[in-house]
Amino acid sequence: MERFVFPRWANKTVHLAGGLLGIAPLYLVGLVWYGAAPTAVTVGYMPEQPVPYSHALHAGELGLDCRYCHTTVDKAAFAAIPPTETCMNCHARVKTKSAKLEPIRESWQTGKSVEWIKVHDLPDYAYFNHSAHVTRGVGCASCHGRVDQMEVVYQHEELSMGWCLDCHRAPEKHLRPVSEVTNMQWAPSDQLALGAALRKQKNINPPTDCSTCHR
Amino acid sequence: MSSLKNNGRRLWRSLAEYDNDPEFRKYLESEFGVPPTESLPSSTERRRFMQVMAASFALAGAPGCWQEDRLLPMVRRPEGTIPGVPRYFHTSMPIGDVAVPLRAKSVDGRPIKVDGHPTHPDTQGASRMYEQASVLGMYDPDRSPSPATFASKSVADKSWVDFKTFALQHFAPLRSAGGSGLFVLATASSSKTTAEMKTRFLQQYPRARWFEYEPVNRDNSRGGSKLAFGETYRAHYDLSQARVILCLDADPLASGPESLTLARGFGQGRDPDHGPVNRVYSVESSLSPTGIQADHRLALRGAQIKALAVALEAQVSQLLGIPATQAPPPAAFLKDAKVAKFVAALVKDLVAAKGKGAVLAGDQQSPETHALVHRLNQLLGNVGATVSYTKDEGNPDLRSGLSQLVKEIGQAKTLLILDGNPVYTASVDVDFAKALASVPTSIHLGLYRDETSQLCTWHLPLAHYLESWGDAKSFDGSTVLAQPLIAPLYEGMSVAELLALLTRDSVKQGRALLQRALGFTDEKAFERAIHDGVIPGSAGARVQPELGELGPVALGPAELSGLEVQNSKLEVSFLPCSKLHDGRYANNGWLQEAPEHGMKLTWDNAAFMSPKTAAALGIEDCTLIEVTTAAGASVRVPALMAPGQAPGTIKLALGYGRTDAGIVGGATNPRDWDPVEPVGVNVYKLRTLQSWDYASDVKVSPLGTKVKLATTQDKHPMEPSGRETTQERLPTIVRQDTVAGYRAHPEAIKHAVHHPPLESLWKDPVQYDGHKWGMAIDLNKCSGCNACVVACNSENNVPVVGKSQVLMGREMHWMRIDRYFEGEDPDEPDQIHAQPVMCQHCEHAPCEQVCPVGATVHSSEGLNDMAYNRCIGTRYCSNNCPYKVRRFNYFNYTKHLESPRNKTLRMVQNPEVTVRFRGVMEKCSFCVQRIQEVKIHAKNEGRAIQDQEVRSACQDVCPTQAIEFGDLNDPKSQLVKKTSANRSYHLLQELNNRPRVNYLARITNPHPDLAPAAKADAQGGGHNKSTTSSEGSSTGHGDNH
Repeated sequence: MERFVFPRWANKTVHLAGGLLGIAPLYLVGLVWYGAAPTAVTVGYMPEQPVPYSHALHAGELGLDCRYCHTTVDKAAFAAIPPTETCMNCHARVKTKSAKLEPIRESWQTGKSVEWIKVHDLPDYAYFNHSAHVTRGVGCASCHGRVDQMEVVYQHEELSMGWCLDCHRAPEKHLRPVSEVTNMQWAPSDQLALGAALRKQKNINPPTDCSTCHR
Repeated sequence: MSSLKNNGRRLWRSLAEYDNDPEFRKYLESEFGVPPTESLPSSTERRRFMQVMAASFALAGAPGCWQEDRLLPMVRRPEGTIPGVPRYFHTSMPIGDVAVPLRAKSVDGRPIKVDGHPTHPDTQGASRMYEQASVLGMYDPDRSPSPATFASKSVADKSWVDFKTFALQHFAPLRSAGGSGLFVLATASSSKTTAEMKTRFLQQYPRARWFEYEPVNRDNSRGGSKLAFGETYRAHYDLSQARVILCLDADPLASGPESLTLARGFGQGRDPDHGPVNRVYSVESSLSPTGIQADHRLALRGAQIKALAVALEAQVSQLLGIPATQAPPPAAFLKDAKVAKFVAALVKDLVAAKGKGAVLAGDQQSPETHALVHRLNQLLGNVGATVSYTKDEGNPDLRSGLSQLVKEIGQAKTLLILDGNPVYTASVDVDFAKALASVPTSIHLGLYRDETSQLCTWHLPLAHYLESWGDAKSFDGSTVLAQPLIAPLYEGMSVAELLALLTRDSVKQGRALLQRALGFTDEKAFERAIHDGVIPGSAGARVQPELGELGPVALGPAELSGLEVQNSKLEVSFLPCSKLHDGRYANNGWLQEAPEHGMKLTWDNAAFMSPKTAAALGIEDCTLIEVTTAAGASVRVPALMAPGQAPGTIKLALGYGRTDAGIVGGATNPRDWDPVEPVGVNVYKLRTLQSWDYASDVKVSPLGTKVKLATTQDKHPMEPSGRETTQERLPTIVRQDTVAGYRAHPEAIKHAVHHPPLESLWKDPVQYDGHKWGMAIDLNKCSGCNACVVACNSENNVPVVGKSQVLMGREMHWMRIDRYFEGEDPDEPDQIHAQPVMCQHCEHAPCEQVCPVGATVHSSEGLNDMAYNRCIGTRYCSNNCPYKVRRFNYFNYTKHLESPRNKTLRMVQNPEVTVRFRGVMEKCSFCVQRIQEVKIHAKNEGRAIQDQEVRSACQDVCPTQAIEFGDLNDPKSQLVKKTSANRSYHLLQELNNRPRVNYLARITNPHPDLAPAAKADAQGGGHNKSTTSSEGSSTGHGDNH
C-alpha cells in the first residue's frame, strides 16, 4: 500500500490542538461540576403537560387516593397513567365546559390517547418495578415527594443509581406499614426503629446485584 | 497438573480438526476467532483508527442530550389488562394439514413469544424452531402490505376496495356460468372452517376445479398405510415405553409435528438413573438429530433403506416362525460385512424386544417401506403396546395436484391460488410458471409478494396465523383453534374470509365463520373452546386396523445397489430444510442464522457428501459442483463434506434459492430495496414427480471455484490448545459411558479427570444462602435440534448478524450446540454428540477477574451478571472465558430497527430485556428477567418460589426435556435430582471455575454384538472398566460383573 502523507493543511490542526489543550483543564472541571449537579440528573424536571392536571387539587385538597388513578401500582412494574375513562368518571359531570379539559374530552370522543409527558424517566436499561416496592412498604412520597402539594408534577429525587442503592442498602430509612404507602403526610416519630422492625418482620433484603435492575 | 484420560476415544469437531488443517490451527491460535491478519488493523489503518478516536473524544459530551418520552394511556382500558403485564392466549400454528397447538405471550397487545400448548398431549409445552421463529415472521416488514396488481412484473398497489370492485365484476359471469373456467389451487388444510367454505364455494361454482398441492407432504406415509391396511391411518408411537427403536430414515426427534410427542417419549425412556435406557437404531442417508442420538447408526442410500425394510421383514418373520411376505432381497449392500452384522444384531434385538419395540419410517421413504414398517410392528407385537393408530382424514395425494392442474390449464380462465408458492416449489417436470402465464386472470393470496405473485395478475395479502381466526387438526387428531393475537398488520385476510368474500357469504368475519363451521350455538361454550385452544375429547379414537395382504415389493437396481461410489450412479435426496421447511420461512433471519444440526451451516444449503464420496469424485470441500440428474436437469451448488452422509449420496435441502422472498432470503426484483442475492440454491429445479424424495443415477462434476460457507462448527472452541491436548481433553468435555459400564462403575464419569484438590486463591466472597440458580443438561437426551437456540433468540432479543459476520465468527447466539464426531473414520463416525453450551455462570468466573470496569460481576444468587451500560468493550472477558460463550457486538446490529420501514420489527423485541448496542459484550443471563419476575411476583404474594416456577426459555422449548433449570439450594427440586446423579459433571472442572451448569453424561446402550470390542479394552485403564453389555431387550446378557 502507498505511504500515507498528511496534507499540508493538517499542520494547522497542531496549533488548534495546542489551544484546545490549554483550555482542557477548564473544560474538565466544568464537565465534572455540571455532570454532578442535581439539574443534570433532572431533579426539578417539570415539563408542561397537555392537560394542566393538578395533583395538589385532586390528591391534596380532594384527598383522592393515589391508587384511584394509578391502579396497577401494586400489581405491575408500571404505575400506569390512568385511561381517559378514569378522568371521565367524574368529568362527564364535573367541569364539563372547562377549556383545560378539552384534550380529555377530545380523547374520549376520538378514541385517541392523551399524550402525557413522562416526568420520572429512567434509562431504558433500568427495570424498576412499582409493585415490588409498594407491597414491601415503600411510600409513594419516598420517591415522588409530596405530590399532593404539587400543582405541576416535577421530579423530586435524583433517581440515579447511587440514590437507588442508598435505599437498597438501608431500606429501614424508608419502610412503612403497607397500609400507609399512599399516605402523603406519613411522618413517624422514630422511622429507623419502625423501619428496622418492619424490615425484620417482612424479611426485606433488597438485593444490590446488577441484575436486580439491569437485564 | 491434572491428568486426563481419553479412554481411547477420539473426538473431533470438524474435518479440518481431524486433519489438523493449518488454516484451522491459525484460526484456533487467534484471539477472537479471526485470523490475526484479518482482525488487526495494518499501520495505515491504525492511523485512521486514531483519527476516528480523536473525533469521538471531541464528541464525548454530545450523548448528554436526552429525549422527551411520552406516555399514551388507553382511552378505555379493557378489564383484565394491566399495561406491561403479559397475557397468554391459546392458539395454533398450521404447517400443511397438521397444526401445533400453542400458547402465545402478548405484551400490551403484541405477541412476542410462543410456546407449545402446556397441556395438549401433542406439545406439553414444547415446540420447535418453526413455532419459535413464527413471531418474527409475523412482524416481517417484507410481508405484502396490501393487495396489488401485477402486469409484466410491474406492481401497482391496490386496496381491498379495488379488489372487491374487481371481484364483483369478475366473478358474476363466472357464477352464472356455474364456475366453469374457474380453477382453485389450495394448500393442504385440516381446517373445518376452510373445508366448509370450500363446500360453499363449490356449491356456488359447481363446475369449478379444486386442486391441492404441498411440496412437502405425507403422501408416502399415507400411501404406505393404504398399502398395509387399505385405508389411511396415522401411526402414533409411545416411545417412552419402547426399549428398541428402529428409525428407517425417520427423524422422530426433530422432524414433523409429531416429533414433539415422540421426542418427549424418547427422553423419558432415556434416563439411566431412574429406569432402563432404550436403544435407538437409525438407518438414514443423511445425518438427522435422531441419528445424533442413536446408539447405532447406519448410513445407507434412501433407496437401499427400502430394500433393508424388505430384508428385515423376511428375517424377522423367519425368526418368529411366521411365513414372510418378502423374499430376502439380493441387494449388494446387504452383503457388506458391517451392514450384515448390523442387520443381524438388529433383527435379534427387535425380536427380543417383542411388544416393547417401535419401528418408524420417515416421510421421505417409499409407501412400500411404510407398509413394511406397519407389518413389522404388527409381527413384533408392538401394535397395541407402543404403537397405536388413528384414522387419517387428510388428503393422501398432495403431490400430483399441481401437475393435474397444469394438464388441465387450457380450460382455466381464472385461477385462484390460496396460499403457497407453487411457482417456486413446483418440481422441474411441472412447468407451472408457463401454465400460470397462460391464464388470463390469476389471483394469489399469500403472506409475501413472492415468486408466484410476480406472475399473477392479482396479489392479495394473507393474514398470518397470529392475526387470524381458524381451526385445524393437531397430530393426535384433535381440533385445535387459532385466535388472533393482534389485528392484521398488513391488511391480511384468511383463506376462509376470502372464500366468504368470493361466495358473497352473509357471514364475513373470521370468528363468525369459525363458529359456524364448528357448529357452536352457545357463545359461552365457544368462548371456552377458544380459551382452551382445543375442543376437548376431539382427539382421534385409537384403533387397531387389520393388516391386508402385502405382495412382494419390487426392488430396482438403485435399491439393490452396493456401497461403492460411482459418478452418474449417485443418489440425491431432497429433504425439506430443517430450518426453512419448503422455503416458506426463507425470509426469517432467526432460522437462516440457526446453525443446521449436522454441519452447523448457516445462511446456505450445500451438497452434503461424505469425505470418501467427495474424494472418489475428485471434489474438494467448499467448492462449486454441478449436479445433473438422469433427466438432464442441473444446478450449481457448493459441496460440503459431511461425515455421516451415506456413501454415494448427496443431500440437498429444499427451501433455498428464493428470488422473491425478501431482504433476508433473497429478492432479485427490487422494490423499496436494492436487489438481494438469493440465499442458497434452489434444488426444486432437480426434483421430479418420479424422483420426489430421492433421485438416483445422478452425476456431478466439480467446477473448481471455492465458495465460502458460513459454518459455525469450528468457532468458539473450548479447547484451543494443541491437537494432542485437545485429544486428551475432549473426552472429558463430552463424557460418555455405556449403560453396563455406568451401572458397574457409577463413579467413573465423575473421575474422568484426575486433579489435585481444587483450592481457590481467595475466599469465596459470596455465600449462596438464598437462591442458587443452576442448570442441568442431559446429553443423553439432547439431539441438537436447535429449538432452544431460536427460543433464546426470541426471549433475549439476540440480533441476527448475517452471513458475512458469521463467517468472521461473530454470530451473537447466546447458546450454541457443539457437535462432536467420535471415532477414527471420518466417513462413518462411531458416534455423534450434541452439546448445548451457554454461559456456565461459574462461581469463580474467569471473566469477572479481568473486567477492568466491573461490567460483569457476580450476583448474590450466583448469576454472572452482565451490566451492558458499564461495558466498554475491552473483550478481555471473552478472551478469558474458557467456554467461549461471550458474544461481542461488533456493530450496532439493531440499527435497522430505527428505519421507519422496520417499525413492525421493533415490536418483536422482548420489553423485559435490554436491546444491546455496539461495543458491548453479552451472553446468556439464565433468563434473569424471568427469575426477577417470578421473585417479585412471589414476594408480592408473600410466598416462597415453587420448584419449576422459574423456567428458562431453552428449558421451556426443549422437546426431549434435556434442560432443567432451578434452585440448587432446594433439595427437593427437579434440578437437584438431576445434578446429584453420578453422571453429572462440569465442563473443564479442573480449572476450578465451579460452573453452575451441570452436564449429565451420555449413557449409551449399545447392542453387545455391535459394540466395538477395542473400546472396551481401552476403557480398562484406571477404574473405569466398561463392558459392553446391554439393557432393554436382551436381558439374557445382563450385567456380568
